[in-house]
Amino acid sequence: MSDLRNAGRYYWHYLKKYWRGFIISTLLIAFSTWCIVVAPTYLGRAVEQLTTYLGQWTNPATRAQASLSPFNHTLVIYVLLYVGDATTIFIASLILARVTAYSTGTMRVGLFRKMQRMQVKYFDTHSDGDILARFTSDLDNIFNAMNQALLEVLLAVAQFVGLLIVMFNQNVTMAWVTMASTPVALVIAALVMRKAGTAVNQQQDDIGRLNGYINEQITGQKVLITNGLQQDSFRGFETYNNQVRKSALTGQIWSGILNPLMQGMSLLNTAIVIFFGSWLALNGSLSKGAALALVVVFVNYAQQYYQPIMSLTSLYGMIQLAITGARRIDEVRNQPDEVNPVAGSHPDGIQHELKIDQVHFSYLPGKEILHGVTIDVQRGEMVALVGPTGSGKTTVMNLLNRFYDVDQGQISFDGTDIRTFDLNALRQNVGIVLQEPQLFTGTIADNIRYGDPAASMDRVIDAAKQANIHDFIESLPDRYLTRVSDEQSIFSAGQKQLMSIARTILTNPRLLILDEATSNVDTVTEAKIQAAMDNVIQGRTSFVIAHRLKTILNADKIVVLKSGRIIEQGTHAELLAENGFYAELYRNQMVFD
Amino acid sequence: MKVLMPYFKRYRVDVSVALLSVIVLVFATLWQPRLLQVVMTAIIKDDQQTVMREGLLLLGLAVLGIAGGVINTIYSARVALGVATDLRSDLYAKIQSFAYADVETFSASNLVVRMTNDINQVQQIVMAGFQQITRIPLLFIGALVLAIVTMPEQWWVIVVMMAIILFASWIAVGRMTKYFGQTQQDIENVNTVTRENLMGIRVVKSFVQETNEIKKFSHASDELTAVTAKIGYWFSILMPIFFLTANLAVGVAVYLVGQNITVHPSYLAAITSFISYLMQILYAVINGGFLMTFASRAVISLGRINEVLATQPSMSYVEGDDATPLVGDISFEHVTFTYPGDDQPTLTDVSFHIAAGAMLGIVGATGSGKTTLAQLIARLYDPDSGRITIGGVDVRQIPEKALRATVAYVLQRSTLFSGTIAANLKQVRPDAELSHMRWAANVAQASEFIERLPERYEAPVEERSQNFSGGQKQRLAITRGIIANPEVLILDDATSALDAKSEKLVQEAMDRDLTATTTVVIAEKIASIIRADQVLVLDHGRVSGIGTHQDLLQTNSIYQKIYQTQKAREEAAK
Repeated sequence: MSDLRNAGRYYWHYLKKYWRGFIISTLLIAFSTWCIVVAPTYLGRAVEQLTTYLGQWTNPATRAQASLSPFNHTLVIYVLLYVGDATTIFIASLILARVTAYSTGTMRVGLFRKMQRMQVKYFDTHSDGDILARFTSDLDNIFNAMNQALLEVLLAVAQFVGLLIVMFNQNVTMAWVTMASTPVALVIAALVMRKAGTAVNQQQDDIGRLNGYINEQITGQKVLITNGLQQDSFRGFETYNNQVRKSALTGQIWSGILNPLMQGMSLLNTAIVIFFGSWLALNGSLSKGAALALVVVFVNYAQQYYQPIMSLTSLYGMIQLAITGARRIDEVRNQPDEVNPVAGSHPDGIQHELKIDQVHFSYLPGKEILHGVTIDVQRGEMVALVGPTGSGKTTVMNLLNRFYDVDQGQISFDGTDIRTFDLNALRQNVGIVLQEPQLFTGTIADNIRYGDPAASMDRVIDAAKQANIHDFIESLPDRYLTRVSDEQSIFSAGQKQLMSIARTILTNPRLLILDEATSNVDTVTEAKIQAAMDNVIQGRTSFVIAHRLKTILNADKIVVLKSGRIIEQGTHAELLAENGFYAELYRNQMVFD
Repeated sequence: MKVLMPYFKRYRVDVSVALLSVIVLVFATLWQPRLLQVVMTAIIKDDQQTVMREGLLLLGLAVLGIAGGVINTIYSARVALGVATDLRSDLYAKIQSFAYADVETFSASNLVVRMTNDINQVQQIVMAGFQQITRIPLLFIGALVLAIVTMPEQWWVIVVMMAIILFASWIAVGRMTKYFGQTQQDIENVNTVTRENLMGIRVVKSFVQETNEIKKFSHASDELTAVTAKIGYWFSILMPIFFLTANLAVGVAVYLVGQNITVHPSYLAAITSFISYLMQILYAVINGGFLMTFASRAVISLGRINEVLATQPSMSYVEGDDATPLVGDISFEHVTFTYPGDDQPTLTDVSFHIAAGAMLGIVGATGSGKTTLAQLIARLYDPDSGRITIGGVDVRQIPEKALRATVAYVLQRSTLFSGTIAANLKQVRPDAELSHMRWAANVAQASEFIERLPERYEAPVEERSQNFSGGQKQRLAITRGIIANPEVLILDDATSALDAKSEKLVQEAMDRDLTATTTVVIAEKIASIIRADQVLVLDHGRVSGIGTHQDLLQTNSIYQKIYQTQKAREEAAK
């Protein structure tokens, strides 16, 4: 139920500005419905008039009075009613098509805007695939439902109400006869839909498991082949595949059976109406013409009667998906934004010192990662963070850029807490080079000037030269205008890192954080990265998160972290002399013989 | 379609029942207006008996219709799921028969899409096919024939109606096809921007590019919105035109009946049934149109499935179930290899020999062909020329089972399958007991963390083994690699995520416990291969040097360079 409320709130937010469109469409639909339900009465009247005409014409005494003009007149109205119907439906669906396209467009952009405002924490705790699915399948489901269901639901409701009114106006007995089978149909529909719901859920679960298995196995095909496990894999597959066959059969039958059942009910209903209508015509007090007309009209109604119910049941699944979709997107909408102080000051680099002061931090409440870390950095110094995986090195980087905020203690530039700075201004002062750099679709030049799209080509080339990637770029046929896409990369992992360094050099940050790439880089590229890093570090206050010690031997200060605490601090020589954890680490990595 | 025929044949009975029930359903639908006409005539004639009799017949017909519809659904589902399951099974068996090069040619993710989405498309179209595709032409032809029989003079009304409808659809579909193509492109653009921003959210934020990214996204999104709106507009006009045309046709028909009622008085009773037939023709055309677009997608999917089924594995093994391992001495004789689709060979004229039980280290820059060389030993590919022998036998002459029993290959990106640790180990050595697992885990330095897990060897491995760290994954992969005590063990940068200390411990344990195993170690770090009996230096796919660490330090300039880059800083710092 809260699902429904959240979904309602979501749609209200995005659709309320289209209220005029909705009111006009609803009015138009009401009018078209009136046309559709009234039109058969004119057809009935035409038949009645024709019967009268034929009767008069057959009788020589009245033949002279026989006239077709009332019949013709009725027919013109009949046709005009359908013209009215077509026109109004056309305008209504035009309006709704516009509303659908533009409101889902706004939803899409709204979701993206939200994404840009949200805290990094959300992205770290949700898989990319899950967030992406909200942009793709959830928004798709909403679009499909609005595109198809909006008009149909309005139409179905209007038609149903209109039909009831007209039927009771025409003939109360026949109206009741037409409606007689409704309870049976509704019970059947409810039962089948409930069965279908559980069966389809089971089917989706099984399909999910099968697809998961296929994905895992085929992605690991190299392991299967090198271990000769293909037949085992096939046997495992067959189990899942047969399970899907079984549950999907039930799912497909139950969800597929509703439509023929309802169609059958409609057929049955028509038969009942004909049966009773003709009985009424023969035994009732009506004239033959009138009775005939009644049968014609009600046969038409009986055929229409189940259509709204049928379209509502066939749309049920779609609407269900749209509700879930809205709930999932609304969930994102309610995530907290990044905290940006009102009228925050703008830092001007680091004039004297950067201080990480007694910082405590935890990603999850109760699971503290940093336990009171204090680091003093003088302007222009290079600080290296060293320590085993999970020691908290990367966390420090997350805090300096305010991807996360400290729980206790503070980080300050020249004594000013970074949380009082304007968030964007702070980040413009801090440059980071990530371990796994992300490139964006566009040209190489676009990627290098990512942080400053207005930068001139000279500055781009200059940054590339400092990052040791210029020669490689020049060797490509389109040079700086070569298109980059993250999927089919022209860059190796090492070259990507160089690109990312170039990108950072161009923005000329005052404080620099370098997260060194770990593996997958051969020694020659590694040397290039080293040189590029030396270039970028020069003259800047910098933090280097090091995985290979030889990168940081020249650091002004090496901070050794272990389990969220600083255990050693000093220069390379000092730490070697101390003969502690660092010295051990160093000997393990560097000694060849 | 030809692809599906053999599958339909397997479900001959279900197919027949599904088709028969469609015919029953169509008959019930089409005959009703006919009976109605008889009833109406009887009313005009005051013939009570006929009215009762035909009325009951009508009820019977309706029940028949329901039965037909229900049975049709059940049997259509049986056929659709039977065909889809069998097709999926054959497809999977085919993929499992592929050589690795074939998997790469298609790409794993592409094969997964074919196994899932494409099969699903086919399943849906088969289901719809037996429910609708057979029904629509039958309904269409039946309604057309009956309409003409009912009022033969008015055949042209039907023809004109259909001409207008088809003309309108033709114009609209032409337009919309163009727009649909454009939506695909626009959706892709939107997704690309989203994906990049998701993965690079830290980059976006640290460079303060949120506003620009929103601009970029809005641009892509607005284009998509505009095209969807256009498609919507075309749809908006299509449906009203269809129904207006059909209702105008009804008007014209009734008018004509009126003008000639004195010639054909019986038509008075036929008006309602004629209208029903007209509407059924209309519905058949509309549904037919929808199904055509639906079917065209399924045809594409079927083509993609067939492409896989028609591919012959590019590699075959000699017959034989012999799984006896060979002796582990390996030699390469003038081996040259080019990846499918490349024009430059990755390996050129590579020759060397390693004695059984020895250790070979391979070093070289990224792209020098280290992994390729290792993959040729495991016969993931065959060389263009030259030959590779294990235990003196050309690898192409070794039965698959024997080869797999001889060579164990541990990849840099370690893949474990979801299940338990034990299940992963038993895949390679089905008779593995706890003692075997303990031994292997000890060598790989994995015991230390496995023993700390509450379920130990029965601990679950989640999908993408995300419940283990990179280093733990690699240690588990090494455990799996050695559990069968292979004759040949290839470690392809398999210790890259291990810290130096653990790596050293693994090496020492292997030296101690796997003395008979020939070990091929690919490494970035010289420290990893410094104790190898022989080190092979690869440079752009050629052997630049082979020898011990000391030999190469004296003689090989490339090796010296690699050594210097790894050593230099240390000396500089001293």
